[in-house]
Amino acid sequence: MLHKALVMLAGLLVALFVVAQLKTVPHTNPPSKGDLAAPPQVEAILRNSCYDCHSNQTRWPWYSRVAPLSWLIVDHVEQGRKQINFSEWGDYFPRTRKRKLQWMQRALHDEVMPLWSYRLMHPGARLNDADRDTLDHWIDTELAGPLTGSSPQ
Amino acid sequence: MSRPKLSLLRPALGAAFILTLLPAAAPAQDSAEIRFENHQFKPLSLTVPTGQPLTIKVVNASNETIEFESFKLNREKAISPGESIEVRLPALSAGSYDFYDDFHQDVPEGSIVAK
Repeated sequence: MLHKALVMLAGLLVALFVVAQLKTVPHTNPPSKGDLAAPPQVEAILRNSCYDCHSNQTRWPWYSRVAPLSWLIVDHVEQGRKQINFSEWGDYFPRTRKRKLQWMQRALHDEVMPLWSYRLMHPGARLNDADRDTLDHWIDTELAGPLTGSSPQ
Repeated sequence: MSRPKLSLLRPALGAAFILTLLPAAAPAQDSAEIRFENHQFKPLSLTVPTGQPLTIKVVNASNETIEFESFKLNREKAISPGESIEVRLPALSAGSYDFYDDFHQDVPEGSIVAK
């Protein structure tokens, strides 16, 4: 009896998994609106640890094509791009750029980025102390500068 | 039928008395409202008293999703069209705390002035 119930449950889960694959979500990488121009060392850290969720150059892993994980990952990237998008850096007003840098620095100090769920699948994305120092120093330098840009405000 | 001893009742009476005092001892919670419509926050400047907790209701009366954000207040929350949120703040020190819509950088920045 128990064996039969388990087989039915497993069958139901497999059926749900198959049906879930029918709901696909777009994996986009829109054209850049002005990439961030940062020193090579800074850019390398950002590309390695931040760009997958905070740029239009996401490296979509194979499991991002498998539902229901795909729904979560695509939504997560959309939210990440809304918060800060290094591929739209040139499109930000100077004051917006300043705010993004301030939030970045807070996240850096609080050690909340990259998210643990991302680090779980990308252990190499973890920021070490040297990475944090490099980014912190770069943010300080940027905030102290004029934060000029082509945008009017 | 025996009467309860007064010594046993005293702690309970004491606790009940303290409980009646608690609401009066808690600081008053001030509240205010900020509306987002026609692509701007209203009011753009909100004056609030210092030294007491504050709840701000942010109403998104527009048809676009916004994100109410303030770096100084360490708050950020997306609000769908027609929805509202409550932002609970601790007692603020005197000063100006700017807020803005992080999803639309052309929206004029507002400020909460505590004094």
